[in-house]
Amino acid sequence: MKRTYKVSPKKIGLRTWSKQFEKISTETISRYRYYNNGEWGIYLSPPATFMVYGMRELKRLKFDNSFEALRMWGFVFNETERLFRAKQIGKKVIATMGDLGVVPILVMSFPECVPFYPECLWWTPFFKESTELLDTASKLGVPEATCFSRAVVAAFHKKAYFPKPDLIIASTGASCDDYSCVMQTVEDMGYEVFWAEIPYRKSPEFFLNKPKPQILEKTKEGFVYPKILEEHLIREYKRIWQALFKLTGVNNPHRLVDTIKKINTLRRLVMGIKRMNEEAPIAPIPALELMVIEFGNLYGYADFDEWLEIVEMIYHLVKDRVAKGIGVLKKDAIPIAWVTPSADPYLLNLVEECGCRVVTTEYVINQALVQIEEDIEPLRALARAFINASLIGSTEERIKKIKEKIVKKQVKGVLITNMLGASHCAMETRLIEKLLSDVPILSIDVPAPFGITQQIKTRLEAFVEAMR
Amino acid sequence: MKDILTPRERFGMLVIDEKPDRCPVIPLITSHAATVAGIKLKRYYTNGERMAKAQITAFEIYQHDAISIFSEVGLIAEAMGSEFNYPDDDLPVLKKPALLNGLHDKIIIPNPRKSKRLPVYLEAIKYAYRSVGDIVPILAYIPAPFTTGMHLLPPEKFLIETLKRPDGIKIILDTILDVTKEFCFEVINAGALPIIVDPLASGSVISPAIYKDVAMIYEQKLIDYLHRFDFDVILHICGDTSPLLEYFLQTSADLISLDRVNMLKALDKLSHKIRLIGNFDTTTLLLSNPEEIHKTAGMMVEQLKFARKGYIVSTGCEVPIKTPRENVMAFIKAGKEKGWYWV
Repeated sequence: MKRTYKVSPKKIGLRTWSKQFEKISTETISRYRYYNNGEWGIYLSPPATFMVYGMRELKRLKFDNSFEALRMWGFVFNETERLFRAKQIGKKVIATMGDLGVVPILVMSFPECVPFYPECLWWTPFFKESTELLDTASKLGVPEATCFSRAVVAAFHKKAYFPKPDLIIASTGASCDDYSCVMQTVEDMGYEVFWAEIPYRKSPEFFLNKPKPQILEKTKEGFVYPKILEEHLIREYKRIWQALFKLTGVNNPHRLVDTIKKINTLRRLVMGIKRMNEEAPIAPIPALELMVIEFGNLYGYADFDEWLEIVEMIYHLVKDRVAKGIGVLKKDAIPIAWVTPSADPYLLNLVEECGCRVVTTEYVINQALVQIEEDIEPLRALARAFINASLIGSTEERIKKIKEKIVKKQVKGVLITNMLGASHCAMETRLIEKLLSDVPILSIDVPAPFGITQQIKTRLEAFVEAMR
Repeated sequence: MKDILTPRERFGMLVIDEKPDRCPVIPLITSHAATVAGIKLKRYYTNGERMAKAQITAFEIYQHDAISIFSEVGLIAEAMGSEFNYPDDDLPVLKKPALLNGLHDKIIIPNPRKSKRLPVYLEAIKYAYRSVGDIVPILAYIPAPFTTGMHLLPPEKFLIETLKRPDGIKIILDTILDVTKEFCFEVINAGALPIIVDPLASGSVISPAIYKDVAMIYEQKLIDYLHRFDFDVILHICGDTSPLLEYFLQTSADLISLDRVNMLKALDKLSHKIRLIGNFDTTTLLLSNPEEIHKTAGMMVEQLKFARKGYIVSTGCEVPIKTPRENVMAFIKAGKEKGWYWV
């Protein structure tokens, strides 16, 4: 991939990005398009464009100054438009909710079907520094005590953030229970929901001394699970496949094989970026961009092929920076692990400003990071990949994984960002704090939009001091 | 009907060719905001915070769909050296154009963050954006190079020079274009969407030929600059632009705001490519009564709301400064009622 200009890596603000943007030729701008549409598919815009259209937090965020990052942000912020355009040109837009990682692979295996995750809208109130969506959700019966993903209810009500989905596939069971309530509310609003069940991954001890012995399996990531769990998931995926077949009239299992290959390519690239970031002496890319890349694994921000190209471009950028020993943070930045994603992107900036560097993450999307087996029956492969999910098992297992990362990556501290109202945070955070007692831990309750206070900054500074 | 979307969400849907809950209703409430807020006009156009606060007050009262940062079109010419009088209760009046004696006179290349009243606008944008930018679009009206040119030279002289010394005028307009782009850059980074206004390129002022050969060229260049940012560009030209309708397609504007034009003709000629804005008669708005305004505006909206690329209910020109509040409210009410789309 050819880049249009070279800059020394650093984090820059919105205005500097706008200045830098002036150096990019109009020809280059028109080269990058989603759905390959030249009329409305152009997305290479600086952060200022999206700020003018209401993303107020962009005014205070700092971004990677590379052309690659510009392309990434332009593409990601364009998603609402992209979903509406998808519908306008006859694609089927499928809302996949709650499973975070597998259902979109099934969706993408059907022609002209575009999956998206409504729950990713939980970032929108923060990017907009606005409580509009959250307040609307409250008025619609989802109270303040629910996690920020309640913004989704307002989005379904307003119909301005994505088009009416052709199909809504909602996964419940061992998923986030707040979000299950959100999904139920969406159904109560009159949307037809296709429910799928995610089973809980019981620990092996559960099966000891049971009258009916279970066959236990182990994922490549080391999670032990009963075989029946795999079979259950396959049954659920078959049901979803049938629903998609009914919607599209197409039934071509070979496409699933191809989609898995493509997904694995993306996942390899992302894991490669993560690995380089972990091992490089200087952080080659900021934590914020890294989080966006990691979450792109879920569904490719509604144009998978374009996203794959973007990630490939970023992979080469990171590789180049690592080879040259250059990066975006100071060499003495303190390596930390980040547990649970922050609803407020500004926190990722702030942590780096305080002198930290995120070397490893546990964003509860482990299932979207692992490789999917290509040499077995595809639905089984999907089931086995999903079984690695962080949220479907015990906290103990999750902590074990975090511990492994801490030791391996030599992190000096752990930052946990809690979502107010999200029950898994309420249940898990204290346990994580307790069981990871050998490193400094800071847990922050992410406040409502534009709510980060001096108090949080002071706590972060104290956390940094404790690690030094 | 009760609004479902915020003005920002509504505008966002319009520009991606989706039907929002209803048509956006954006009467051109500019200096009229000073009347609503009860402040002297001079305070409005010389103090950014005052301008923003007046606009926000008007927004809170009227509940229309955009904040309009604007007072008059001499702004850039003033920063380039033209002199104005500043009456307490009226808008600035051109006193001495910078190029009074001809094209060889000196013009100033302004600093958009410091020169004359340009920072007033930027301050107003920042204040408004910070206060209500999450729910309502902030629009900043930017005079197009042709209109600014008419404030750098005595207007009649500018028009004569356009014919006699087109190369000299071109140099001036190129300079103005650069200055305007730089100002747009600041406006964007402050948080507003630039609207290009070119009232002196109106068919009431110039011939279609001059429009096509001079004014339009610079509108296009400015629009191209804004399109690089992927903005949806609004072009507003007041007065009678009937003879210019066919050229508007060539400007590549995404939305066109029209004044004294037969909108059904505009609907026919433009609406497949450009979103329409307009065009309630501002004299009627000033002098008529709320009932009549409500009725007439309602009829206008019903005729135009199904324009193919979308429609914004608006006035043909700025809402007159002293327009009674009840009249503006009646207009907005009609726009909201009759402009409803969703079932």
